Amino acid sequence: MGVAKRPNVFGVTEGHWASLRFRRGSIPVRNTTYKTTCPYCGVGCGVEVTQNDDHTSFSSVKGDKDHPANFGRLCVKGSSLAATLGREGRLLEPTIYGAKATWDEALTLIADKIRTTIENEGPGGLGFYLSGQMLTEDYYVANKLAKGFLGTANVDTNSRLCMASAVVAQKRAFGSDTVPCSYDDIDHAECIIMVGWNAAWTHPIVYQRIAAAKQRRPELKVIVIDPRKTATCDLADLHLAIKPGSDAHVFNYLLWQTERADKLDRDYINAHVNGVESALEAARISSSQCQTLLATGLSQAQLDQLVATWLSCEKTLTFYSQGVNQSSSGVDKGNAIINCHLVTGRIGKEGAGPFSITGQPNAMGGREVGGLANQLAAHMDFATPGAIETVQRFWQAPAMATENGLKAVDMFQAVEAGQIKVLWIMATNPLVSLPDSHQVRRALKKCELVIVSDCYAGTDTATLADVLLPATTWSEKDGTVTNSERCISRQRGILPPPGEVRHDWWAICEVAKRLGFQKAFSYEHPHEIFVEHAALSAFENNGQRDFNIGMMSQLTRQEYDQLSPIQWPVTQDQPYGTKRMFVDGKFFTPDQKARCLPILPKIPFISTSSDFPFVLNTGRVRDQWHTMTRTGRAPILNQHTDRPYVAISPADANALKIQEGQLLRLKSPVGQACLPAKITADQTPGNLFVPIHWNDQNTNHSVVSRLIPQVVDALSGQPESKHASVAIEPQKVAYYGTVLSGDSLRTDLFDHWCRVGSEGGERYEVALFDTVSLSSLCLQLVGVNGRGTGEWLEYTNPINGDQRFAYYEAGELRLVAYFSTTPDLNSKNWVMERIGQSIQEPLARMGVLAGSPVDVVDKGDVICSCFQTGSVSIQDAIEAGCDSVEALGEALSCGTNCGSCIPELKRFLTSVEAV
Amino acid sequence: MREHLVIIGGGMAGVKLAKTLSEQEQHLYDITLISEEANVGYNRIMLSPLLADEISESDMALVDLSAMQQSNVNILAGTQVTKVKLDSSQLTLSNRQILSFDKLVFATGSRSRMPESSEQLHENLIGFRDLNDVAKMANLPDNSSIVVVGGGLLGLEAAVGLVKRGHRVTVVHRSSHLLNRQLDTQAAALLQAELEAQGVHFILLDGLKELIDEGTNRIKRISLNSGRELDTDCVVMTAGIVPEVSVAKDAGLEVNKAIVVNEWLETSCQNVFALGECTEYRKQTFGLVAPIWDQVDVLVARLVGSHKNYRGPFQVKPTPVKLKVSGINLFSVGNLDEFEGGQSFVFKDPSARHYRRLVVKDGKLVGAILFGNVADGGWYFQLIQNNTDITPFSDRLLFGETYCQAS
Repeated sequence: MGVAKRPNVFGVTEGHWASLRFRRGSIPVRNTTYKTTCPYCGVGCGVEVTQNDDHTSFSSVKGDKDHPANFGRLCVKGSSLAATLGREGRLLEPTIYGAKATWDEALTLIADKIRTTIENEGPGGLGFYLSGQMLTEDYYVANKLAKGFLGTANVDTNSRLCMASAVVAQKRAFGSDTVPCSYDDIDHAECIIMVGWNAAWTHPIVYQRIAAAKQRRPELKVIVIDPRKTATCDLADLHLAIKPGSDAHVFNYLLWQTERADKLDRDYINAHVNGVESALEAARISSSQCQTLLATGLSQAQLDQLVATWLSCEKTLTFYSQGVNQSSSGVDKGNAIINCHLVTGRIGKEGAGPFSITGQPNAMGGREVGGLANQLAAHMDFATPGAIETVQRFWQAPAMATENGLKAVDMFQAVEAGQIKVLWIMATNPLVSLPDSHQVRRALKKCELVIVSDCYAGTDTATLADVLLPATTWSEKDGTVTNSERCISRQRGILPPPGEVRHDWWAICEVAKRLGFQKAFSYEHPHEIFVEHAALSAFENNGQRDFNIGMMSQLTRQEYDQLSPIQWPVTQDQPYGTKRMFVDGKFFTPDQKARCLPILPKIPFISTSSDFPFVLNTGRVRDQWHTMTRTGRAPILNQHTDRPYVAISPADANALKIQEGQLLRLKSPVGQACLPAKITADQTPGNLFVPIHWNDQNTNHSVVSRLIPQVVDALSGQPESKHASVAIEPQKVAYYGTVLSGDSLRTDLFDHWCRVGSEGGERYEVALFDTVSLSSLCLQLVGVNGRGTGEWLEYTNPINGDQRFAYYEAGELRLVAYFSTTPDLNSKNWVMERIGQSIQEPLARMGVLAGSPVDVVDKGDVICSCFQTGSVSIQDAIEAGCDSVEALGEALSCGTNCGSCIPELKRFLTSVEAV
Repeated sequence: MREHLVIIGGGMAGVKLAKTLSEQEQHLYDITLISEEANVGYNRIMLSPLLADEISESDMALVDLSAMQQSNVNILAGTQVTKVKLDSSQLTLSNRQILSFDKLVFATGSRSRMPESSEQLHENLIGFRDLNDVAKMANLPDNSSIVVVGGGLLGLEAAVGLVKRGHRVTVVHRSSHLLNRQLDTQAAALLQAELEAQGVHFILLDGLKELIDEGTNRIKRISLNSGRELDTDCVVMTAGIVPEVSVAKDAGLEVNKAIVVNEWLETSCQNVFALGECTEYRKQTFGLVAPIWDQVDVLVARLVGSHKNYRGPFQVKPTPVKLKVSGINLFSVGNLDEFEGGQSFVFKDPSARHYRRLVVKDGKLVGAILFGNVADGGWYFQLIQNNTDITPFSDRLLFGETYCQAS
């Protein structure tokens, strides 16, 4: 890649490479400021943190201006990282069956159990369930131990839930698991298609980059393909609200129409692509005009616009994410997208390509080390001729696994079936995230030894662990991660691990040593692991494997510590990394040609029925991450969406006489959930949406995975979490309540509850299904803390049945509880601010029961988390004349930092105008 | 030729009537005001602060008597009417003087209800109706042990006044809670705590059975219904009032509990009217000042003949009650019966001694009890009087005017 005399994306000048190569981003920048990376989504933003004097916390977390993923921007999740730290809730020492233990006891127990299991059951009796939250180095040693030294490929990861389908699609098409594109392509594209990707919420910084490109070049076409009208649609010239699961029809149709318009790139195809004819044939027979209209629910005009845009924009970038991947035919959908790019030669070129966006910070790193059950190592598969031997030679491994292991869902089924006796879960919460959590629970209960390595003690999964190992978390973990554009960055260990907390790689190595593998696992620093990993990537590679960072195997410890972000491959030929793959049209198949696949679109595995008439979709909300073990600790992140919900269309809500906020019981063939209704025209009738984040620690009856059956893509093993069928019925509720407290409260008194961590205390949204004495319930609430000696204020409203209680101790407000017979939709944030305050004046004491403040302006629901701007303030500003997002930003600052609220700001502007 | 209007009673009602008529319609009547008390027309409401030593007697004046006299009002003070002859339109005074009248108004007020058994006079048995009663209480020896019978408004005001004068006071009250006509148990409990903090003792659910004088004209102790006996230096009777109707009854007017009047305050006899605590309208008698001021307005209109154009005949309206005890904020308005059946908005802050109950019926506020903070009392009273539909802000109603106007 020739980038002569001008700064490349990493900000270094070619001529100065030798001297600058590993210097930028070096640590520390100043005495107390360090560069690291964000641990959340697959964008992989660089962050700059400033340590407090106590060396145990951060005073600031900012975007790293030098990082090519974000150039200084940071979304609100990343910006709030400091608020997620702290010892509270941390797992600080190993436990064995609930009792405190030493590391030696725990590790010896694990090693002994692994040894006897292998003796009695063979290595198939072991399972490792890892996570895209782990660093590459942790992943590498876990994979090495299992596949090379224990002899099992039962190593899978929560990335299975995230991008396994994309991996298989890429391997089928390219012969390798290669993401061809860079974020840089956004700035060159003429058309950006986003499929099954609510980028505005799930990957805000990439979305902001697309938004900025669109603003700079309004001619940039943006097309969103998503059954829901998401915040991402804000940017779209065209939103195609397809019927759930019909993505492949859209791209087959596009393929066919490309042929009909004679826009196939025959030269490119002849030189670089196989299988085009059969792919076209499949598209013709499966996705005729009529079939496509019926299957997708789109209008001809919408399809025409899509086709016209596609045909007119050579530089089209197609992003696809969970909406495509989490499907029983997710691999096919990925290939349907890739087909379109291959036949038009829109790949390996600036501004064009199929771009799989990963969900996790190191899903890519996990793939690079081979940390999935159907991979071996370093982008080699068991089926790759000679690969097992190659890896064996490199590792000097005594017990190579020889075939694919069990993928996530299969693995937990094998655990329940008693085949897997020892399961080691690291940095993930499968009891919340895997489909059919009842099955997961049964499996964990059945398993002879469940080991959970986590940074937090109280996760749903940790409650079922036999051995708990305290792991480092972000800010302590030290190693590398790879983001969605193949960019390897350092995630740096800055704060000292508290208590007995250790790195995952250390724990794995210690077990390995106890099993007799001292030599192969005697690492003392992640640097040693990384250079070994880098060396393996180049070992006997000869250009046959895409993943090659052989150059980096020469890194010194200091160079590793000072590593700047760099996109793989990093080879002798590409010493600065590689921005774009397949530039030369050569792929990693035996004949170096890409493959088009014949795709016959399949409908989702589970159809709706009269018993289960609604389609259930799942996904993320803007300010939360995964199962909330970290983001749930930052009050600021609990404001945008404070509780789980089921989104339902106004038409369905009307038909079922459902009110906003009313509790609904959702039933699927495998489980139940109970969630408040959120009525929104963003949902099409017949379709529901529930967020994935909430778990048994912060709410009850709200884990959406309980409704999802274990249906997977036959090729990728990825669950179809975007499509289940459910029935809904209103839950009978005697009282809805909001309880605000300075202390954590017992929750067993409520039939339904959701805890919202807030500044200054906790807020509980609760419901009681049957009539009870609320005053005695409140007494029990404060009794739990051994308190209850304070004073109670009460309010009752006979007309609407409201009952409210306030509890003061020595004049200090400790608890306020509002109960109503219908959902109370008013914000109670203003009361939270008073919890813990001393309030003496009688009217002020009474005022907290008023349900709304009289002397402060209620700013409403927080829309802009960065500047804490509320809906009421925004509405007021619009009425006062702010007529654009920019004007609102000027007036209230909202939307001027991470920008993830801009779609919502625009909605406010439109809705107020409409009034 | 002006008619002769005679008003029997120099209390607040009679005086106010005389004053209004003499100021506004001098040409219509020669007025004679006959007062049994030597002190005419003082503000009886201020007896409690006077007893509590918070004001002096000179602060008690309600009207300018000399101005009234100059306006054709002849005031006969310290004189009783012994007989009224309706057929001859004449009345006899205690000095045997006979007066003729064209129109007659009974404004004879009421007396403290005294124990039925005590026919004989005890020098240490006192009511709480007039300056004379206050004078007796003011002259009690220091640190006397006093029993106040009746925990209504007057009883509590008397008790606090006496405590402030340095006496030991026990209130005996028949009901389970104080001010049982104006308060509910919650508010009463707060009030009781407040008064106990000021030094008043209470015996509830008990009543006076017997005055024990050991054959003297002084009560030595009393016995209660429960059998309990209390030594006492003085007994103050505040267990209700009895309308003074003896002359009216004797004259042959229709009298029930009190002199029966219609909405224009006409009695059963033409040209004879009644006013104030001695009246009974639609089976209701009156003890608070607000409805009596209304009655004065109505009767003035009736007597000047402009009543056909007047804003309306007398009607019973809710009247707010305040306890005139300094340091105690209490406001109560509305028909007590409503508290049983209506829908109650309730707020309790026992430790701050702050309590509110609002009674709503058919979307209208009909009753209110405020204890501790009564700032919104006037506003609630307005809502009741104006029959305001409170449903649009019912959720904020209890939190007062500021909240409701903020919404």
